[in-house]
Amino acid sequence: MRTTAVLDADERAVRRATHAARLRRATPYLLMLAPIVLLLALVVYPMVYNVNLSLRSYRTGEFVGLHNFLRVFDDALFIESIKATAVYIVLAVSIEVLLGLGLALFIHRTVTSGLLRSLFYVLMILPMVTPPVAAGVIARLMYTPNYGIINYLLHAVGAIQRDIEWLSTGPTAMFSVLSVDIWQWTPFVFLVAFAGLQAVPQDILEAAKSDGASSWNLFRYIEFPYLRSLLLLVLVFRVTDTLRVFDHVLVLTGGGPGSTTEFLSVYLYRVAFKFFNLSYAAAISFYVLIIASVVFTLLQRLLVTEAVM
Amino acid sequence: MQRLALALMVVMAFVLAVPSLNAQGLPPKPAKLTMAVVAGGETTGLKAILPIWEKEMGVKVELVEFPYPTLYEKLVTAFQANVATYDLLIADDPWMPKFGSEGWLTPLDTEFGYKRDADIFPVVYDLGTWPPPRGPVPPTEKGKARHLYAITLVGNVEFFMYRKDLVSEPKTWSDVVANAKKVHDPNKPFYGFVIRGAKGNPVISEFTPVLLSYGARIFDDNWKVVLNSKAAVDALRFFTKDLKQYAPPGVVNYDAAERAREVATGRAAQGFIWPAEITSIVENPSVSKVVGKMGYTLAPAGPGGKRGPLIGNWLLAIPKAAKNKRWAYEFILWATSAKVQKPYTLGGGIPFRKSVLTDAALNQQFRFLRAMAASLAAPAEWRPRTSEWSAVETIFGTHVNAALAGIESPEDAIAKAAAEIQKHMQEAGYYK
Repeated sequence: MRTTAVLDADERAVRRATHAARLRRATPYLLMLAPIVLLLALVVYPMVYNVNLSLRSYRTGEFVGLHNFLRVFDDALFIESIKATAVYIVLAVSIEVLLGLGLALFIHRTVTSGLLRSLFYVLMILPMVTPPVAAGVIARLMYTPNYGIINYLLHAVGAIQRDIEWLSTGPTAMFSVLSVDIWQWTPFVFLVAFAGLQAVPQDILEAAKSDGASSWNLFRYIEFPYLRSLLLLVLVFRVTDTLRVFDHVLVLTGGGPGSTTEFLSVYLYRVAFKFFNLSYAAAISFYVLIIASVVFTLLQRLLVTEAVM
Repeated sequence: MQRLALALMVVMAFVLAVPSLNAQGLPPKPAKLTMAVVAGGETTGLKAILPIWEKEMGVKVELVEFPYPTLYEKLVTAFQANVATYDLLIADDPWMPKFGSEGWLTPLDTEFGYKRDADIFPVVYDLGTWPPPRGPVPPTEKGKARHLYAITLVGNVEFFMYRKDLVSEPKTWSDVVANAKKVHDPNKPFYGFVIRGAKGNPVISEFTPVLLSYGARIFDDNWKVVLNSKAAVDALRFFTKDLKQYAPPGVVNYDAAERAREVATGRAAQGFIWPAEITSIVENPSVSKVVGKMGYTLAPAGPGGKRGPLIGNWLLAIPKAAKNKRWAYEFILWATSAKVQKPYTLGGGIPFRKSVLTDAALNQQFRFLRAMAASLAAPAEWRPRTSEWSAVETIFGTHVNAALAGIESPEDAIAKAAAEIQKHMQEAGYYK
């Protein structure tokens, strides 16, 4: 009897050990299961669904091959929206980077008080936390010709004799939507660049200064190399954001006048939710994906080059 | 005894067969009716009568409000998913072709036996009927049985307003220009005519009465695009040159709120108007400087004497997937009844019944009601009854807006719009 009991106990111990070993082996897979399911549900399934949608007629659901993909080459509005988006991205991102970097350098070199620096940080965060729709509504009021604050100020200083119709002509409408983006996202560049400047070793700067290096040379040869990878990251973030710019544009100009501020995202919305042509919208979304991928590949190469250097 | 038992059994069987119907043939009261509505002045009257309904019927109505463009998207999404999110909805009439052709609504005639009422303008029933009882019928809808799916709640129709203390009632577009010339003074500033010119729906709502009054159309009776015509170019030239020269700066981006504001603040003499803007802004003493100074009349006539008042009713309908259809129908009957339309009007609602629009006492208080009645009786013109209207309006609205901004000439704008609409309709299967 006793021998049987010992055998049972041993068997149970072996089973427990086997079970524990199995659990140990399975744990990584179990832990991975949740993200895999999420990935399948939120990325893979929508992507496959989108591919399927883009290959069908929006009206009948019939398979139409690459029709929706080839249609863009005959779509003047799509081409115009690509051009408008390119202008917007180049102007918005370059102005934001130049302004943000300039501001960061200025504050870094002239403001030494910790309290003041903290104050700048807080002030810079405010535009970033403003919802884009709210920013668009406020800007729309500011740019209104009759009673908007911008024309009022320009009149007050004698800069204009008659109201500027900011949102009624192509160039001024583009300027207006750009101004909101620049106001809202220059602080992001500032915050990143300012944080990067804190990491520049002071002894190197001091040594360069004592060797008679100019302000420009200090920036060009000491500070900029430290900031370079950060700025490339900023570029990635800002290009992504400007590529999908939507909210404040819709509120401010609705893509007008005509189609002068109808960026890719606004055009995509129009095709999907005004024309209800989800198949063509799905095809356009793949072009957006291709454009984004090309831009990011180029930026990534710059990052890798920088890392090698 | 056996007969008595048989009779009892029949009664029991009947009671068991219709356990959910009460004495009036209504199922048990639901906890509430959920209704999707547009946010804004269009629902002021509805909100005013809801307490009366809840007191009379003991059923709460919960309003779920969305801004204009969002409401359409939310409804389409709910319909496509076939979910019983809403028991009732309020829909802009140009949405009817989409909702009707997709079969997303409950027919009120066959499902509940709705009877037509002579006190309601025929155009109101035409709007809620699908396929359309007149004009071109989309190719996919030909041969389908015609049903009434919706009844107007907000009798919106676009007509004309003018400062009666400064100018005379304009009957034609020439009168409008003469009036504008007389009072226009940008230095004051005071403008002769205010335009709702923002891209898309706003500028098309504004331009369509001008286009129609010039005898132009977008489609013929076979859906062929006939927009590229001399009449359409003349209409657009008149709109973007003759009228715009008397408009405030920035009208290219003006929507209804900006237009009503210019009039209410005493800075503009004439313009189109929808009734909801009158009750909520122009004749609202708390925000307007021109209360009692405005006259209201039919949309002005074009060179050939034609007028084109545009209808834009908001319709009450029941989704096919609704949970409480019978009670929703009861609400529609109640809210559109002559009895309720009076408190509805007094509460800031836009009525649609003949008897209410021509009621002498109500006209004393709401001076625009007669202009509304005349516009509905004209009859008011509707947007082409096609589920592609949203796309057509977007295309046309982009080019009219571009012409208003001076980016495209009237000739180019009309030609481009016509070509793009033709291409879209081709793709939508309207031509073989």
